[in-house]
Amino acid sequence: MQFVRRIISKCAIPLATLLLILSMQAGMASAATKAATTLQSAAKSLSQANDINASAAFLRQLQRAGKLASSVHVLSSLGQTTIVQFALVPSGIKQAFPNATGLVTIVRGDRNNAFSDTTIVDVQHMPPNITFTIFYIELANKPFGNVEYVADLTTRGDGSGETIFQNIAFVAFAMDARNPGTSTDGQEGITSGINLEHMGMWFSSLQAAQKVLNNPSLQGTLFDAGNPPLHAGPQAMTDGQTLPVF
Amino acid sequence: MIRITISKRIAFLSVLLLAMAIAGTVFAQTIGASSSIDAGRQIRNQSFQPETLREMVQRHQLASTVQVLASQPPSVVIQFPLFPSGVKKAFPQATGVVTIVQGNPAVSLFDSVTVDVSHMPPDITFTIFFIELANKPFGHVEYIADLHTRDDGSGESSFQAITLVAFAADNRTPTITSQDQSGAASGIQLEHLGMWFSSLQDAQKALGDTTLKGTLFDGGNPPLHAGPQAMTDGQTDPVF
Amino acid sequence: MSLKRVFKAQWLLATVMLLGLLVSACTTSSTPSTTNSNTPGTNTGGGPAFPTSPLALRTPSFGQQEAPTVKVLSSADPTVIVQFTLTPASIKALFPNATALVTVIEGNPAVSDFDTVIVDAQNMPPNQKFTVFFTELSAKPFGHAEYVGDVITRGDGSAESIFHLIALGAFAADNRAPTVTSTDQTGEASGIQLEHVGMWFDGVRAARQVLNNPNIPGTPFDGGAGALHAGPQAMTDGQTQPVI
Repeated sequence: MQFVRRIISKCAIPLATLLLILSMQAGMASAATKAATTLQSAAKSLSQANDINASAAFLRQLQRAGKLASSVHVLSSLGQTTIVQFALVPSGIKQAFPNATGLVTIVRGDRNNAFSDTTIVDVQHMPPNITFTIFYIELANKPFGNVEYVADLTTRGDGSGETIFQNIAFVAFAMDARNPGTSTDGQEGITSGINLEHMGMWFSSLQAAQKVLNNPSLQGTLFDAGNPPLHAGPQAMTDGQTLPVF
Repeated sequence: MIRITISKRIAFLSVLLLAMAIAGTVFAQTIGASSSIDAGRQIRNQSFQPETLREMVQRHQLASTVQVLASQPPSVVIQFPLFPSGVKKAFPQATGVVTIVQGNPAVSLFDSVTVDVSHMPPDITFTIFFIELANKPFGHVEYIADLHTRDDGSGESSFQAITLVAFAADNRTPTITSQDQSGAASGIQLEHLGMWFSSLQDAQKALGDTTLKGTLFDGGNPPLHAGPQAMTDGQTDPVF
Repeated sequence: MSLKRVFKAQWLLATVMLLGLLVSACTTSSTPSTTNSNTPGTNTGGGPAFPTSPLALRTPSFGQQEAPTVKVLSSADPTVIVQFTLTPASIKALFPNATALVTVIEGNPAVSDFDTVIVDAQNMPPNQKFTVFFTELSAKPFGHAEYVGDVITRGDGSAESIFHLIALGAFAADNRAPTVTSTDQTGEASGIQLEHVGMWFDGVRAARQVLNNPNIPGTPFDGGAGALHAGPQAMTDGQTQPVI
């Protein structure tokens, strides 16, 4: 019995100390985690506030090097995001609608986490109540090259309109996988396929274009989907640049 | 002396045991809290399954106008109509269909909603709100999106937002709850949808009524610049 | 005497420890929310009555030659909703239970500016990024292709991505040869129709690691720097006939 008492008395203090340390550690770890999270958030905000957006800086560098059109505005967005804007100008509608304008905004979130880009196309002073198709294209001007149909935009009664769509924009490309080939992307260097780095808008209907532009001799184009072939109208708006705009 | 030593020792060991019990309770509580969070999401995922939603329609927990489509698992797709309310006299043929899609309730980050209308006042912008009550006074509301009609009165708006569990809350009183399809949930459930004229002037012109009053159903300045409700789901039971 | 000191110290230690535990309990434990339900009463406000019958559903026609795996849902006019599955391709041996469901929604074909495409995947390689392409052919050599977006799987191999873009009318074309045509659900149409959907590993290195095969060659099925840096096809609609 005395032996047991001695053991208990000898072990009690170390055991109590151990339990004390463990309980304090648990409390401290929890508090530390919360403090660390708070600090992390604060650090992130601070770093974001002072951040020189690396991707924006890179795009501006490409502009200076003549690899991205000078008409592109690279916004000073917070780190991890990339936002560019560029204008669309009237092409086929210039004579009838000389004040037509368009603004394209392309947003990419975190390149590692985003599953698509978001593209917003805003137009004004265009032919009213008309549906236009939007294409990513290889060349800004004829013959336009490889193309990708991305969305429609229908103007309102006052000639304004907006459409928002989500798909891959910054690294959009066309290819035939039987022979994909390579090309140079303005921002990325050599890539697979043919890079699509321009945007245009076309009349979705030839008849609508002939009526709006008062020109029955206009020819059909492929710039809309579905039956019949070549039922679309001429190009209405273009980015009009030789250098890539995205 | 020895008696006192024994009682102190026992008391000391009791204190030790009590301390260990408290420590155990703290950790168990932490684990329990996270488990209850997971359980809540699981309950919600089970509630928003096609079979469960069809049963809810039968039990009048969802409006009888709601169609739960025979979609492929794990997706959930529901549709319900909109009816003309404020535009009924001038545009009696106005119709709307709302489609709500959840790809996989267990994984979805948000719902996909498409609102399609026909035969509405042409070339007008309407606002879309999630609301507490289908009819006046509408209750709590959440501004979701706009829809602009074409010159033939048709229009479509597609957007992504939390829809099936949309709710309104003021975190100064966080304990307020209401019934969701999954059971008691925080806040006031928003289970109806309506469309309003975004502009009072547009409404007065389209409806030929200059006595119409402004409402709050649009964002921005000035207050009460929106028009009356144009379209409603018109149901007492929830539509989503 | 020393025994007294020992016991005093033990008491002190125990008290301090107990206090420490109580303090940490207060800071770590989450306060259970008190249910004080205040459910507002339903007030219809005595407003006008509206129909209570459900919408009539119909199954719209969707082309003449769609694949048997395509389900055209019975939906309310004017909507068109189709669904089809993707099945494992290169990942089949290691992830035989991988599945994906693709849902394509056209609210009103006459009015829609774009389609909504939802890709839901389960039991796929976890924490991986895959690219989604519309393709001319579902199997090699795949033909013309269009990069749609990405899908990033979670730790449990599930994922969901949602895109807004033209899907049901997607086609590839080179306007230098504008008279090339092919058959769409609506009939003959410009360009080469892209009527299949597939998913590829966005990186060949990741694919080699996941599939435990260092000899896998790169493919062009990703955008961005470096040609042929993508991996093999992970999921396919596996059909000869169109799915979109």
